[in-house]
Amino acid sequence: MTWLVWRQYRISAAVSAALLAAFAVLVVITGLRMAAQFHAAFGACLPAGSCRFPVDDVSLGGGPMGFLVEFTLAVPALGGMFAGAPLVAREIETGTGQFIWTQNITRRRWLAVKVGWLLLAAVAWGGAVTALVTWWSGPKNAAYLNAFAPGTFDVQGIMPIAYSLFAMALGIAAGTLIRRVLPALAVTLGGYFAVRLIIMGWVRQHYMTPVTTTFSIAANYLPKGAFWLLDQGFRGPSGPLPLAPGNAAMVVGNGFPASDVPAACVTHGPLGGTQFGQATIACLGRHGYTQYLTYQPAARYWPFQFIEAGIFVVLAAGLIALTFAVINRRDA
Amino acid sequence: MIEPAIKTDELTKRYRRATALSDCSITVPQGRISALVGPNGAGKSTLLRLLTGLARPTGGSVLVLGSAPRQDPGFLAGIGYLAQDVPLYRRLSAEDHIRAGARLNQGWDDASARTRLRQLGIPLDRAVGTLSGGQRAQVGLSLALAKRPRLLLLDEPVAALDPLARRHFLATLATAMAEAEGSLTVVLSSHLVADLERVCDHLILLAASRVQLCGDIDELLAEHTVLVGPRKDTTALERAHTVVRATRTARQSTLVIRRGGPVIDPAYQAGDISLEELVLAYMGAAAPAAYAHLSTVGEEQ
Repeated sequence: MTWLVWRQYRISAAVSAALLAAFAVLVVITGLRMAAQFHAAFGACLPAGSCRFPVDDVSLGGGPMGFLVEFTLAVPALGGMFAGAPLVAREIETGTGQFIWTQNITRRRWLAVKVGWLLLAAVAWGGAVTALVTWWSGPKNAAYLNAFAPGTFDVQGIMPIAYSLFAMALGIAAGTLIRRVLPALAVTLGGYFAVRLIIMGWVRQHYMTPVTTTFSIAANYLPKGAFWLLDQGFRGPSGPLPLAPGNAAMVVGNGFPASDVPAACVTHGPLGGTQFGQATIACLGRHGYTQYLTYQPAARYWPFQFIEAGIFVVLAAGLIALTFAVINRRDA
Repeated sequence: MIEPAIKTDELTKRYRRATALSDCSITVPQGRISALVGPNGAGKSTLLRLLTGLARPTGGSVLVLGSAPRQDPGFLAGIGYLAQDVPLYRRLSAEDHIRAGARLNQGWDDASARTRLRQLGIPLDRAVGTLSGGQRAQVGLSLALAKRPRLLLLDEPVAALDPLARRHFLATLATAMAEAEGSLTVVLSSHLVADLERVCDHLILLAASRVQLCGDIDELLAEHTVLVGPRKDTTALERAHTVVRATRTARQSTLVIRRGGPVIDPAYQAGDISLEELVLAYMGAAAPAAYAHLSTVGEEQ
């Protein structure tokens, strides 16, 4: 059976390997160049620990290669679409299922071998891509401290491996249920990005209770490293004040809603513009106003990776279990 | 007693919209080569798929080689199946299929498959998608036979073949039957009985998703008679015999009857029936009323 799997997929495997090799060449060339650029810019301040990260310089790891690396978030979907979805659907569509499932092998055993190899291939495929991307992104991560950002978190660490497993399982289940290659392929693509988007947009931030730090209105405070900022604003004597829209920076005065400035502090200076005078800030502090930041600390990067990977592995397992339940129940 | 190769009882398969097979009760003894005949859409493929276990019945029971078709190596080892249009992996070669078969089946007869295909001059190393229809059918048959099945089910294997390829295919099948010395039972379907007449000794006739006839061909032919005589009332005749099909012209009637005894009415001239006439008589009787005129051309209203 394994021989048949190899015979049927060896061309796909060769094509995938060739694509991967080409990508690896690009990654190594641009990655080495970026590392050199990073050391030229920060070689002096790094040993002294005096570098001011994150930097605003956007030239590091930008350009077409930057796009290509962000585009690797679609890589897991490819395996599910082109290897997972046709697994059962093509056998039914072309009728070859009638040949293979009347050999002396049960449908479940056939499925187990095929699914096993495809999931393994998904891990290898996602693993190879993420290894390259994670290495390549090293200097960029250090300079921009944006490891939690969408498009960064999702293409590094163990996420691409978990996503690949999920996409492959989704493709296999869709092909088994829908029994037609093209619709199954479309459902795999749509389903993959829908689930990813929902988890990224509404679920990920709740994996662990965020930390809220309250500090003086006159102070500048930033958590260490690549933290994930969820919310920030001012707190008055009667509770938090919503941040005025359009102002997200940390500089004191910015975004403080003018209508909330107590009458006693108005005399300290003009309220026009976005910056308050020192006297106004001091006055606000005396009247019980503080600032707060709600965020996920940088140290939670790996816990978050493992929690999200766990979610996708569980989803994949559920889809595979569904496939096994359905394969014998439907006529072939 | 030797168990029959196939025994079904009121076997029924309904799909969402239509009934493909209705109350099908048939028995095929071991060692026979049975023609499964019926018009397109009569339920032949459905019956074969139910026998393989690829489809599951909605009602009734089916026993194949003594057990219900199921997903288990013990059952699957006994059957060989060649589906309609010979679905093989188009990009793989015959060699690849043979190797896959050897890995998937225990009693695989590698040598016979290779020898047979080599004798027929079919290239083993070319993608089967590039072979001719006749060659592909031979590859499919060789693969099914290499499994050393006890029951071989072939769905319309010769429908797409030219007369020469058809003859080669049936010759291969006949040789395999002879080599098996009674341990192989074959059911092959066709919508034309003439295709199968020469090789088959058993008949299953399906029409309108029901079994019309099932039995040994010689016995069936012996039980039926064609009567040609004047056009007259057949009530007396029907008391003793079953009239399968009556075709009447202005002066003359042609009756196909299943005899209940000797025919004594001297007005009729009795004659033997050919397999084709027999099949057409039963198929005509089962045809929907809208098509009745096709088989009773010339009848006066």
